[in-house]
Amino acid sequence: MMMMMMNGGEATEAELFLNCDDMSVLERQRVQLNYHQYHHPGFEPTLPCFFPNSSKMNVGEVDSFLPSAGLDLPEIYGELHGDARISVSPGNITTESGNSKKRKFGCVDTETKVFNEKKKMMMMDREVVVEEEEEEEEEEKSKVTEQCTRSIMKMKNKAKKEQNSCSNDSSKVTKDSQRTDYIHVRARRGQATDSHSIAERARREKISERMKFLQDLVPGCEKITGKAGMLDEIINYVQSLQRQVEFLSMKLATVSPRLDFNVDEIFSKEVVSAPMMNLPNTVMPPHMMVNSGYPHDMVNSGYVHFNPMQQVVTSSDPLSCFNNGQSATMWDSDVQNLYKTPYPDDMEMVFIYSVFIKGHHTYFEIDESCGGVNGTELYPDVKYMTVSEFLDTLL
Amino acid sequence: MERQIMNNKKRLFSVEPTELSPSEVFTRKYTSHLVPALKKLNMDKSPSPINQLTVKHEVDKALALSAQEFAWSGFLLQKLSSSNNPTTTTSSSSNGTRILEGSCKEDEDGEIEEKLSELRKLLPGGEEMNVEEMLSEIGNYIKCLELQTIALKSIVQDTT
Repeated sequence: MMMMMMNGGEATEAELFLNCDDMSVLERQRVQLNYHQYHHPGFEPTLPCFFPNSSKMNVGEVDSFLPSAGLDLPEIYGELHGDARISVSPGNITTESGNSKKRKFGCVDTETKVFNEKKKMMMMDREVVVEEEEEEEEEEKSKVTEQCTRSIMKMKNKAKKEQNSCSNDSSKVTKDSQRTDYIHVRARRGQATDSHSIAERARREKISERMKFLQDLVPGCEKITGKAGMLDEIINYVQSLQRQVEFLSMKLATVSPRLDFNVDEIFSKEVVSAPMMNLPNTVMPPHMMVNSGYPHDMVNSGYVHFNPMQQVVTSSDPLSCFNNGQSATMWDSDVQNLYKTPYPDDMEMVFIYSVFIKGHHTYFEIDESCGGVNGTELYPDVKYMTVSEFLDTLL
Repeated sequence: MERQIMNNKKRLFSVEPTELSPSEVFTRKYTSHLVPALKKLNMDKSPSPINQLTVKHEVDKALALSAQEFAWSGFLLQKLSSSNNPTTTTSSSSNGTRILEGSCKEDEDGEIEEKLSELRKLLPGGEEMNVEEMLSEIGNYIKCLELQTIALKSIVQDTT
């Protein structure tokens, strides 16, 4: 009944309920199918056996929903892992990612209510992984919306759970079909079903989810299993990071009088190390970046200091002319021409050309007009041999 | 001409110039906040040596400004603007010692609570958040701190 009222892409609380309805009906159907599979193999589940006629309409609704979700019913049913369902759940009905996240979490919560323990743990792990992966694919900023949605979800869940609790059916087999417009919640074996403990359970699960996330974030935490140990590690890590920042800023204070800051240079270092972050396997790429940040900095500083001409001719990076505008006058015109050309493939040749042919790296002036400097004149003490003389000796 | 050279430079160094992952965004913002601030500091105070605390202040400010999508940055900004003497966000050595419970009995929940409260102290604004919020904010905070250290390192390297 409730389901038929809602339609289309509104991310409202009702939508959440709607979705939960979806899931709970699916759960019911799955349970039915499993039940049938175990007890009557090959028996096609006809829901009316267990549910009254009114729910047939619900089923119809579900059917009409599911094709839009691109999902085959039998596929869900057969699968214990339910990956198909994970792919269904987010955002088929709405297109906003924030809403889809809401829905995702909504599904998580309903599932925690309904599954038996084993399935649930698998689901949670899988979904946490999926969520984390999906999180990592999306931007960090969306984390904020996610957090907002999480906190919103929390409140909505509480409200929802209060509603659910009024009508909770804690029996193991949903045989009583009288109250079809209530949301049936299946309790885990041996667990209380009142709203407080459900909320508490959901809270605890969220916290452990966050802890897992932090575990991936903090390096060297894979082996630690206890909450307390993890928290210890996190505290130590945050403290060490803060101390590092303090130390670096102290260093900066002593060093900063030399003001050739160059924002773009720094950017280039960061940007080149950016590809490291898109590794598919890691959940927390920036963590990789930190650990590999050092070698990258080395590599990048190699790049950055790489245009030797500018290093010798000017004391600051040419880009600082973007900042100060002073060093442009110091440029050799040849150097400028070099920069206009595309990046050379053979750097060694460029060095040789620059040093020996163009005479850039000398500490004295070379008069171009007289055809360069004769090395023999520069160093008269050394005994020289002409090339032809040398070749003559080989004859 | 300068722009051309700048463009060439960019082509030189950046492998994926158009892609802007959040870490990059943060780093860019951070450096674009910090570097001008440091320059300004330098120019204003060139007669006297630069105060370390003010640098720290600028560093923290840049951090807070570049991470405004997170809750803790607001708290950090508040802390910075409210105090004349810039407060250090590091807890220094005072938090190195763990505050042990009076009784010898190992109450696990109590331990965890202690650790959580310590974590709260580390995070700006941590005291006002509940546990779940705080845990996710800590995640963001750690990430931003890491990026900040990398940026600071490269700035320092650049100037030495």
